[in-house]
Amino acid sequence: MEVNHVVKPNLQIRAFYLFFIILNIQTGLGILGAPRHIFQEAKQDAWISVLIGGVIMHVVVVVMVIILKNYESADILGIQVDVFGTWIGKALGTVYILYIFGVLLSSLINYIQIVQVFIYPQMPPWLLGALLILLIVYTVLGGFRVAVGVTFVFFFLSFWLFFFLYEPARLMDLNHFKPMLEATPKELLFGSYQAGYSYVGLEILFFIYPFIENKKKISMPVHAGVASTTILLLVVTVISVGFFTSITLEHLIWPALSMYKIIEYPIIERFDLIVVTQWAMVIFPNFILFAWLITYSMKRLYGISQRKVLYTIATLLLIGIIYIKKQTIISQFIATISNIGFIIAIVYPVILLPLVLIKRKLVKMKEKSK
Amino acid sequence: MRKQPIRIKHGKNSDFPLSIEVLKQKVKEQLQNIPDILFQQYQIQEKDILIFYIDYQINKKQLDDSLLDTILNRDIQWSTDKILNEVPIGNGTKQTKIDKMVTELIAGAVGVYVVGEPDAITYNIAKQEKRNLQKAETESLVLGPQVSFTESLATNLNVIRWRLNTHDLVTEKFIIGERGQSEVRMVYLKTLANDTDVQTMRQRLQNLVVDELEDSSILSQYIEDNSTSIFPQFYLTELPDRLCYAIGKGRIGVLVDKSPTSIIAPSTFFSFFESTEDIYMRWNVGSFLRILRFVAMFISVVVTPTYVACVTFHYEVLPTPLLASLGQSRAQVPFPPIIEALLLELLIELLRESGARLPTKVGQTIGIVGGIVLGQAAVEAGLTSNVLIIVVASSALASFTAPSYIMGSAIRVIRFPLIIIAGLIGLIGVTLGICFFFIHLIRMTSLGRPYLLPAYPFNWKDMDNSFFRLPFTLSNTRSTSFQPKDMRRYPKQKAQTKKDIDE
Repeated sequence: MEVNHVVKPNLQIRAFYLFFIILNIQTGLGILGAPRHIFQEAKQDAWISVLIGGVIMHVVVVVMVIILKNYESADILGIQVDVFGTWIGKALGTVYILYIFGVLLSSLINYIQIVQVFIYPQMPPWLLGALLILLIVYTVLGGFRVAVGVTFVFFFLSFWLFFFLYEPARLMDLNHFKPMLEATPKELLFGSYQAGYSYVGLEILFFIYPFIENKKKISMPVHAGVASTTILLLVVTVISVGFFTSITLEHLIWPALSMYKIIEYPIIERFDLIVVTQWAMVIFPNFILFAWLITYSMKRLYGISQRKVLYTIATLLLIGIIYIKKQTIISQFIATISNIGFIIAIVYPVILLPLVLIKRKLVKMKEKSK
Repeated sequence: MRKQPIRIKHGKNSDFPLSIEVLKQKVKEQLQNIPDILFQQYQIQEKDILIFYIDYQINKKQLDDSLLDTILNRDIQWSTDKILNEVPIGNGTKQTKIDKMVTELIAGAVGVYVVGEPDAITYNIAKQEKRNLQKAETESLVLGPQVSFTESLATNLNVIRWRLNTHDLVTEKFIIGERGQSEVRMVYLKTLANDTDVQTMRQRLQNLVVDELEDSSILSQYIEDNSTSIFPQFYLTELPDRLCYAIGKGRIGVLVDKSPTSIIAPSTFFSFFESTEDIYMRWNVGSFLRILRFVAMFISVVVTPTYVACVTFHYEVLPTPLLASLGQSRAQVPFPPIIEALLLELLIELLRESGARLPTKVGQTIGIVGGIVLGQAAVEAGLTSNVLIIVVASSALASFTAPSYIMGSAIRVIRFPLIIIAGLIGLIGVTLGICFFFIHLIRMTSLGRPYLLPAYPFNWKDMDNSFFRLPFTLSNTRSTSFQPKDMRRYPKQKAQTKKDIDE
């Protein structure tokens, strides 16, 4: 397997799309439930936890960019093979694929569950699942450019939802934030850790780096994307903490969605229904990008045709949706994925960095001695 | 040109010389003995001359004034060369094969044969019936040029030359059709149009093998990128000013003989909602109208399915006062909302279709009878609710604002699957349906260029040419999406110079 992966110019995208890819893939579903998890750890200082999490993410981005810039046009699959050798490298790549499949399945199940809870308690999960999977297959068959296009266009089709948070923001009680700075550093860090599920997805940068047209300019859009995610999460967390009392917030699974419930207009009474359906457009780019990542990685690692992989994962996803039904299992599953995500997205790049640097140095020394 | 079977006679290359009787018989034989071929035989200075033509295919006046006048009134011993020399018609050609000569006769030529000579002559003096230039019917405008294309390619090219009187204009000729042949012209500006686009279009036209080409709308379906899609990928227009505007921005036009519509390629999804009137209007009004059309499209696609979804599954979305009046008006209706909506949509489509098929005078009556009487009666009979009539009528009305009739029809049709899915699984179905259409649009291309330009791939500079309009002082470039060879229309600084008190 080649370490560097050269992509045809007509498949490449401009760097500024990275902003939308990162923002979209991180926003997903995590943001709906994150305020509660963070609040459980850091209480009224939850916003500090979010900021700490944001800073950590920026550090991770810097690390990732340094790793990538050591190579001409490599993705994580190639880098792992370069650093650890073919066997371990491919094994690690497979772990990545399994993890991404886990993320994909968990977010699909999670979204279907939200729809069931808010709109149709009676609807069988396979119906919505099958429709979503059909759409995913149709999109991914179009290739990477279509996946990015969907991410980009759907961002503008769904971003307006965010502005409607002004209504609960108006009703915030600022006393909920007092007394300030009560949480211990340990609680704050645990709070940041709990925000992890919403930061998952950053690792996509490791995969799509070869597809970027102007590779020198990637830092700006990626940092902007991470910063925007942080701001979004911060706003949602602050409004949730200010809007709900502490007892309520600890018992709400999706505080962000519950806040939309109080918005009312002369022609729409239950705005949260609109939000839940419209959230399909927020979450859909995640499905597509992750599904595409799996097909691409399988082709890169094992040379299997992307079409075959796509049909296989579509079948597996449908089976997963049909069999994973119990709320406890789903919560457990999401928590596990979140923990693994923390290791893969945040810890792993930091460990990988020195290894890559040492390896590069060794290569250079070898070349010199020759 | 399709090759005619060549018959070899006596091992010679030429079918001539022949006697008059044999020639007459052979020509008749080739033309399946039609009664319209006329032979005129003259004897001048002991030379027998035969003039023959198909009666209705030629210009009689030219025949009399130029050909017969010259031959009959001069006392010369005619030969083929002398006729070519003396007759004042430019396009005389020598013919040595009878079948080739007959092909010319069909195209509107007159044949002249001097007995004993080794070849005959044909003069093309074809007469072509055509209608005069008229006002545009399907794309009617309030402002701007009113003239529309006709079925005659020569007239259409003449109109285009009139508008684009530059030596830069290329009109490449293609002959398409195996059985019935049609002339197709690809029109573009040499120093502006993108070479790749021109090459792609040329390739598609050259590679096209069909029996015959009925119309340009059919040609556009043959050469489209995605033939399974419901959306048209090339803009079809009958307005010369619209075609010339597009050509002037570096795009390619295709004209087909016998068709009054021209093809503009490449076209983007958003260009189907642009009207030339947006440019003739002042920029702010033009922007308003353009945005109005996008809103209209959104209403047309979304409103009825949302109504069906809300009334079937999500009563809780509707506020109580609205729900009460809605319930009141729906109280008599025995059907579920999906049947009710489909029934009314069908009614509206029937009205539209019958209005389009009937003569204008009857069509208006049908509109009134159908629209007012049927609608009122349907409500009073308890078949539909008042609210739904308003919803369906407004969405039908909105769909007619699309300047392209084909795009308007496509939008009306995609409502039906959306209504059905809304009736089956509610709002989430509507959202997924809209997602599907957007994904479909993102996947599509027109002449190899993304269909959703300039939204994706995103192009900031082109926003003012597709979503809204800016005053001409700010917008001085051609749209970058189609990558013309020259971007600038006029210098920006000069356009921005203010002539006011400072002079």
